[in-house]
Amino acid sequence: MIVGALALVIGSAALGVVVNEISPRGIPLLFTTAGADSTPTPTLPKEIRGVDLRDALSAFDEQTALFLDARPPEDYAEGHVPGALSLPAYEFDDYFPEIADRVEEASRIIVYCDGVECSDSIHVAERLLEYGFSHVSVFESGWRAWAESGGPVEEGAEP
Amino acid sequence: MTAARVRATLGHPVVGACCRLLIGGIFIYTSYPKLLRPDEFARLVYGYRIIHPDLVNLVGITLPWVELVAGIFLVIGIIPRSSALVLAGLLALFIVAGFLAFIRGLDINCGCFFPFMGDHKLDWDLLVRDAILTLFALQVLLWPSSFVPKRNHNRASRRGASNA
Repeated sequence: MIVGALALVIGSAALGVVVNEISPRGIPLLFTTAGADSTPTPTLPKEIRGVDLRDALSAFDEQTALFLDARPPEDYAEGHVPGALSLPAYEFDDYFPEIADRVEEASRIIVYCDGVECSDSIHVAERLLEYGFSHVSVFESGWRAWAESGGPVEEGAEP
Repeated sequence: MTAARVRATLGHPVVGACCRLLIGGIFIYTSYPKLLRPDEFARLVYGYRIIHPDLVNLVGITLPWVELVAGIFLVIGIIPRSSALVLAGLLALFIVAGFLAFIRGLDINCGCFFPFMGDHKLDWDLLVRDAILTLFALQVLLWPSSFVPKRNHNRASRRGASNA
């Protein structure tokens, strides 16, 4: 029984590695380190660029980017990057029409969610890429890194 | 109800078949979105902070396949005890990982049951659910007779008769 279990695990894992190698959604076997803050992260999809905390703070200070908060609205209301617009990943279709004009005007878009482990920002970035926005980046370290770094915080449901 | 009757009920082939279908089916179902998005699953794994970051992608790539293959094997009856052992081990692993996340105060998505389908925060309810599922997997382990197909007995007895 134990030998069978081991064979099952090893065989299935090998199958996973092989499929990953030939899949268009395949990811590197080992993690990548994105950006200057050296936060070890799993890999972003190839079509999405990542920005680190320093870049995000710099873009905020210079007001060169529109920040989009992909977290649920209640998390946004508790605190968000000042000026960021709420665009919850799982209510994208409801929220996007209301902010479409602002997004179209932006020369650069940075999407964030809780942190490295969440994928909401990637979901939103992928939807924006589908809509034809090419200047979309994901701030992978996200809200947690922003708040812990002492970055400015705004509260409330409105930006 | 006597202890013997409880054992007989738990060891009944229908109970065994139900446990196999339930556990195997759940793992097949929940492995599917993870297979489609290994990058997202790797992020969820990373959130638990129990695996070295170097290995997060590897787990994201391989674990869903282990779940899928073990689930299929359990449902269709290929090395069912080994498959049940693997799935019981995974469930135990999920419980330990969830418990460690709790005591460290991590506010993370569980990445379980319906991954990537919304905000499923890690909750005590999920650990209880995993514990119950582990019991179902243990049923398959402890009552192996429940999944031995009858035709094998018949074939064996026919073979024995012809040898005689």
